[in-house]
Amino acid sequence: MKLLKPSWVSHNGKPIFSVDIHPDGTKFATGGQGEDSGKVVIWNMAPVLREEDEKNVNIPKMLCQMDNHLACVNCVRWSNTGLYLASGGDDKLVMVWKRAAFIGPSTVFGSSSKLANVEQWRCVTILRNHTGDVMDVAWSPHDVWLASCSVDNTIVIWNARKFPEIVASLKGHTGLVKGLTWDPVGKYIASQADDHSLKVWRTMDWQQETNITKPFNECGGTTHVLRLSWSPDGQYLVSAHAMNNSGPTAQIIERDGWKTNMDFVGHRKAVTVVKFNPKIFKKKQRNGSSPKPSCPYCCCAVGSKDRSLSVWLTSLKRPLVVIHDLFDKSIMDISWTLNGLGILVCSMDGTVAYLNFSQDELGDPLNEDEKNAIHQNIYGKSLAITTEAQLSTTIIENPEMLKYQQERQRAEQVNHRMTHEAQAHKLTSVVNGESLEDIRKNLLKKQVETRTADGRRRITPLCIAQLDTGDFSPALFNSVPILPGSASQLTSQLSSDSNTATSNLDPLSTPLGSKAPDDAKDRSVASSLNTTAMKSNLLLTTSTKMEPMKALDSRFTERSKVMPGVTISMATPSSEKEPCCVVAIPVAVLKLPTPTPQKAFTLQVSTEPPVYLEVENDVSAVSGAKLSQLRCSREGREWDTLLPSRVITAAGSSDVVAVACEDRMLSVFSACGRRLLPAILLPATMSALHCSGFYVMALTACTECTVSQSLLTQQGVPVIGLSNGKSYCFNSSLETWNLIADKQDSLVQCADFKNCISSQDAPVSQGPLALTQGHNLNAGRLASRLSSTPHHLQHGMTLVFLENQLASALTLRSSTEYHYWLLIYARFLVTEGSDYRLRELCKDLLGPVHKSAGSAWEPTTLGLRKRDLLRELLPVIGQNLHFQRLFTEYQDQLELLGNK
Amino acid sequence: MAKVQVLNVAVLDNPSPFGNPFQFEITFECMEDLPEDLEWKIIYVGSAESEEYDQTLDSVLVGPVPAGRHMFVFQADAPNTGLIPESDAVGVTVALITCTYNGQEFIRIGYYVNNEYTDPELRENPPVKPDYTQLQRNILASNPRVTRFHINWDGCSDKMEDSENVDPSPNSSSSSSMVPSSCLAGKALPVGLLSGNSMDCL
Repeated sequence: MKLLKPSWVSHNGKPIFSVDIHPDGTKFATGGQGEDSGKVVIWNMAPVLREEDEKNVNIPKMLCQMDNHLACVNCVRWSNTGLYLASGGDDKLVMVWKRAAFIGPSTVFGSSSKLANVEQWRCVTILRNHTGDVMDVAWSPHDVWLASCSVDNTIVIWNARKFPEIVASLKGHTGLVKGLTWDPVGKYIASQADDHSLKVWRTMDWQQETNITKPFNECGGTTHVLRLSWSPDGQYLVSAHAMNNSGPTAQIIERDGWKTNMDFVGHRKAVTVVKFNPKIFKKKQRNGSSPKPSCPYCCCAVGSKDRSLSVWLTSLKRPLVVIHDLFDKSIMDISWTLNGLGILVCSMDGTVAYLNFSQDELGDPLNEDEKNAIHQNIYGKSLAITTEAQLSTTIIENPEMLKYQQERQRAEQVNHRMTHEAQAHKLTSVVNGESLEDIRKNLLKKQVETRTADGRRRITPLCIAQLDTGDFSPALFNSVPILPGSASQLTSQLSSDSNTATSNLDPLSTPLGSKAPDDAKDRSVASSLNTTAMKSNLLLTTSTKMEPMKALDSRFTERSKVMPGVTISMATPSSEKEPCCVVAIPVAVLKLPTPTPQKAFTLQVSTEPPVYLEVENDVSAVSGAKLSQLRCSREGREWDTLLPSRVITAAGSSDVVAVACEDRMLSVFSACGRRLLPAILLPATMSALHCSGFYVMALTACTECTVSQSLLTQQGVPVIGLSNGKSYCFNSSLETWNLIADKQDSLVQCADFKNCISSQDAPVSQGPLALTQGHNLNAGRLASRLSSTPHHLQHGMTLVFLENQLASALTLRSSTEYHYWLLIYARFLVTEGSDYRLRELCKDLLGPVHKSAGSAWEPTTLGLRKRDLLRELLPVIGQNLHFQRLFTEYQDQLELLGNK
Repeated sequence: MAKVQVLNVAVLDNPSPFGNPFQFEITFECMEDLPEDLEWKIIYVGSAESEEYDQTLDSVLVGPVPAGRHMFVFQADAPNTGLIPESDAVGVTVALITCTYNGQEFIRIGYYVNNEYTDPELRENPPVKPDYTQLQRNILASNPRVTRFHINWDGCSDKMEDSENVDPSPNSSSSSSMVPSSCLAGKALPVGLLSGNSMDCL
């Protein structure tokens, strides 16, 4: 065992309350007290692990620090994926942090220090609900939920997929809740509080499963935290501060019947934190010794107020090691590395210690397969997802596969490097302001300034970046102000105001142009010259005129005592002045009752290019006859036409325009206003009209059920959504309506395929399938409640759901969505090991190797070449070494076909 | 935590004749959509001696502010010369940019401003009554002094909490913003001498 106290890990001497190692082991976070706020710091792990890295000045030690918490941070926890960091503090807040990919190192404005944040972590959500200090936070297995506990006696379960949604608030503790731990199986969450109790809650219904009080009855005094922990096999729960015969202990609670027969004894003061090693171990097999089967065991670290740390193996009666006087003050938190051999401990005294064990000391860690086997044995299901670690233990059978695996690793490294370079590039462009230069040149002229009701100036700021991505996209749509005069046009598409100008959307599409980079450079050179010249000027005087400077200095920091002159009252913008950026997608919410003819209306039917339709009914004409006028403006060009009857509704796309009249006539015009068809007589009055591309869908009022939503996809497939939550699309080959979405479908809700969504896939929120299912789709909502359904059932549900999605995408002829779901489906089959289905899928994609006339096999589906799809799937299949034969088989065949 | 972070302030049209409007291009980032507008102010310190001579050059509301990174140019007219003590017209003073949310100031950005005659003749023998048309305004853009204050972002009613926050604020100002003026002068000396010489040559 090696012990190290990296002195550079400190919060300037202030207490460190929490420490957590990132799942990938490259960094760790600490939380505690900052200067006048709470502080979260992300540190580089390499300098802790290797001395040469510690000495290398080019390797940063601190990666990022965030002092956004208003008060002391009590807990920091990485999500299991490592994408997020959650922190909770005395300011009653939980903040969730995410790394901003495209922003490189930066300094704080106005700070003279050169210390930059190497990584940018920005707060993506602030979770507000607790009315007292947040003491502990914990991510559930698979990051479905985030739990936080507080001195307000409650535990809040947040939906980690949809912050800040609250799933449940667990009430029942009568004292400050100071520790949380999830059952690795996902069935329970346990909490320990100052009310001398430890409660276990079910995740199925969020009710209390058991309340354990006996070991805590004698507990007196208070500890700052009570961080309990659940063993990785799920069999034992170990509490913080408990008492046995007036001695402080860590109570062991068995999952089976919640029995409390054992404890860890020996600490002289209250136990503050218990942390299980994430690995399960087995005895090291020595050469020559008889290979007798030994029982797997767990390893657990216990930290106490007595400033000492003990490490236990569940197979031993005595601790493996006890380290006294490690710190000057109480131990506050412990974190294991994912490989189970390293441990970071932090203390109230503001220091951190790192311990490194060898495998000889702890034993052989079980690999994921063996761990899964244990879970399978005990709980009848496996919990883990196929991981890198799991693969490393399987023997690779053929050189192709080996090559592929190696290539994959290399590709990952290259990828990694490339993202880094991309980031660096991005950074420079941002720093030089090149991408912004054009915007900046004209900002003063372009920015919109209005006067409020009380005559004050009001500037609408120009939005230059979205937060979550950090991407710079000049002049995002929602940032461009719309003057009150034009707002009505956008808010109510069917407004009767036909006079509204239609041209003022132009600046939206051409945000400030891209002009004269040379000019920009000149300007920056000039300005830098100016500053230097000016600086020297100024500083010359500065040295001669010290006295008033001192007097002035105070002015920088003192807040104005009285707000001079100006009134503070904020004019609340009235709703019509609020620039509104809602442009309804051409999906109307209409009941079947037919729309009544309006005098006039305007609507925008397409944004790219902008096309507007204006309809004016009852234009007086000769001899009392009433005519209707349809006017269309498209990129500044206009055309109009006259219709003999009053127009009820109109619709259009970038290619066609359709209008329905009161006399049940449907007229269709080309983009230039040419009439494409003689007027079509419809069987009933028009209810809704939709255009998409070259397709027009007319919905007449003779249907009986209520249509809540209807649209026409780009591919011309009509889709209707009914008020009962079901959506159908029309299958033209079968001439039937096929069900594609059902809100109440329990299959959908239980499907668990989240593991199969790769971060590289752009989520398809734009496709017709996603649009229809959209808000209806609660896929996987219940999925995470692993305990609620047996594993094989859930497996089946997911399969059915994914196959449904595939078939629906096929019917909707949405190739991008088909592609998306096909990949997910394949990944699911690969992780779950469904050999037959996978084989069939591959077989269909490959098709017959030899061309035969009788074969009905189509080489393409939805315009995607099936063999290309297969080529894309093969790497996915290759991820699971169980399928290496399948992989090789199809790899060979594809190659063969390629050679032909 | 502060919902609004000022990322950068660029001083435009600098240096410039005294009568030119002030122009600051301000870039800030907002954590979440703000229901209220931000109020920005430019304050010109007429005299180091007393706050009495402070002039609020202008104040603007900035909004609506959705979550994201934003920028705008704050332009305000030059100070009213009638309100500046004649003895303080030439020399170093300070311009402040402040931002308040719900009436609570959360950031204060200060710049040294140097007002000088460009004409060497006038510089040697300044007129008793300052000639503002000949004065040039130089803002030391490279060295802003930024002080941040904690405020209550969630409601305007908690004035109590606000006033509690005021007390520790002078200490709370980030240490980096508090470069002592002596240090400033010390660092500047060689540069200052150099340019001084070159000017003499001219």
